[in-house]
Amino acid sequence: MIWVSWRQHRSQAIACLGLLAALAVYAILLGTSMRTAFGQDGLVTCLARSHGTGCPAGIQAFTNRFGSEVNVAFWSVLLILPGLIGVLVGGPLIARELEYGTWRLAWSQTVTRARWLTVKLGLVTGGIIVLGAAMTALIMWYRAPMDRLTGRFLPNIYDFEGLVLTAYILCAFGFAVLAGLLIRRSIPAMVAAFIPWLAIRLVVEFLLRPHFEAPLTFNQVCPQNGACYGGIGLGTLPPVTGHIGDWVLSQGPGQASAANTYLYQPADRFWTFQSIEAGIFVALTAAALGATIWLLHRRAA
Amino acid sequence: MIRNDAGDSTPALRTDHLGRRYGRVWGLRDCTLEVPAGAIAAVVGPNGAGKTTLLEMIIGLLQPTEGQLSVFGETSHAPMAARLARVSYVAQDHPLYRDFSVADMFHLGRAMNPSWDQELAVARMDALSIPLKRKVKSLSGGQRSQVSLTMALAKRAPLLVLDEPVSSLDPVARLEFMREVIAAAAGTGLTVLIASHVVSELERLCDWLIVLTGGHVQLAGPADDLIAAHQLLTVPRATPDAELPGVTIHRTDSDRHSTVLVRADPVRLAVQQRPGWRADPVGFEQLVMAYLQRPPQAAARDDTAQAARPGPTTKAVTR
Repeated sequence: MIWVSWRQHRSQAIACLGLLAALAVYAILLGTSMRTAFGQDGLVTCLARSHGTGCPAGIQAFTNRFGSEVNVAFWSVLLILPGLIGVLVGGPLIARELEYGTWRLAWSQTVTRARWLTVKLGLVTGGIIVLGAAMTALIMWYRAPMDRLTGRFLPNIYDFEGLVLTAYILCAFGFAVLAGLLIRRSIPAMVAAFIPWLAIRLVVEFLLRPHFEAPLTFNQVCPQNGACYGGIGLGTLPPVTGHIGDWVLSQGPGQASAANTYLYQPADRFWTFQSIEAGIFVALTAAALGATIWLLHRRAA
Repeated sequence: MIRNDAGDSTPALRTDHLGRRYGRVWGLRDCTLEVPAGAIAAVVGPNGAGKTTLLEMIIGLLQPTEGQLSVFGETSHAPMAARLARVSYVAQDHPLYRDFSVADMFHLGRAMNPSWDQELAVARMDALSIPLKRKVKSLSGGQRSQVSLTMALAKRAPLLVLDEPVSSLDPVARLEFMREVIAAAAGTGLTVLIASHVVSELERLCDWLIVLTGGHVQLAGPADDLIAAHQLLTVPRATPDAELPGVTIHRTDSDRHSTVLVRADPVRLAVQQRPGWRADPVGFEQLVMAYLQRPPQAAARDDTAQAARPGPTTKAVTR
């Protein structure tokens, strides 16, 4: 069965390796030049000394130079990439057998269809995890210098680091496998899986993610006769809290002793947030694949 | 005629009031059959008669809605793997993976069947001069059907089920395919079930006959017995059905005569021989065609009628 799964998904695996190789070339070229510039600009010592508040100009210069590599527009387009990979792999997994009638061949061998499906899903899921982990590792490595200045809560950074990238691919894959069984045709199944995947992805990113944990409050005290350093949002470097990587969500009403009050998620919650978000998508994957196994088993056995 | 000399009384296939419903429509209903081991059985019926439904339930691709089914004693409640091991299947249109080579297909067969006979598979391809390295998509329809048949035979299951195996083939490929089936069945004790709407192909091949129309079994039993149990009567045109011996299956009225195919009661036939009447034996194809043209409901009516009257019913002719 392992051979059968490999033979049927061989071309997909090769395509994924090609994608990974292209990403590796991009990441190594950029990562090396970013590292060199980071050292030359003296940002290492600045960060160590003042936590970034002492050298706004240096940070500005570096982000201007390399900003396009973590450019919001570019990575926003790539936001759909995990979904595309997932549905392209998952859509045909069952639907192709139903479309071409080969299910009659595959499921009338001595191996039961339940085993046929479990082995296939197990191997492909394993492949996706390896692919996702490799992609994440490459992206995190090349962007490390930039991440030290911007933190990792920026959506275009957060969505490609840690655990979530792999979980996004798995979720789209799970949806597409289930849609393939229900719709019985590959391309409609891919579309039918991609739309809810994207919807859930956006809802989680914009509605749920800021509230994974209760935000902290920061009271800003302004100098007596100076302009109050302000600005919220992830683009402000360093953020108003004075700590790189903090995610300032909103400005609250000023209190007696403070000029301004801000709600924020501290930078060190990155891995907690990643785990929560990856957990949501892995749970959705498990639900979709579980439903697929149950439905296929119920169809006849 | 039936070559089951091992004294094994377990039939290859037994169904008891088997039925399968799709939503509100019954694909097959009240199907009670028995096919002995070693038989080559034809399942004949028009498209939509329930042939594929019956076959898919036998293989385990479909679960019955009602009734019982057993293949060599394994019921539809037995573990799936045990059921699958007893049947091999050549599906309609011979599905194979298009981008696989023939060798890849056999590798798949070996990977998915513990009883796989690779020598047999390779020897057959050799005999048919189909190169193992050839991709499935570059094979002709006839060659594809032979690869499908070989996959099924190499699984080494005691029951071989073929669903419309020749309907997509040209006449030469049809002959070759059927010849291969006969050769494979000969002397191996393999039980074969062939569903087809091409009646003429089956006559020389099959010794057991099952006719399905509209989801009902019209006729089932050993072909020779069924043929012997029917007569083709030529009678004056005006003769009503009630005066004829046996049950009228099909009637053609011409200007002066009626040709009636009856399931004959021999005793009554002998008694009721009248001047101007002629009784002839029926042929396989004639018999099948007569039953195919009957309304499906007639089968259900027969069952009640035959309960009161002894005659060659399905149950009576099983051995």
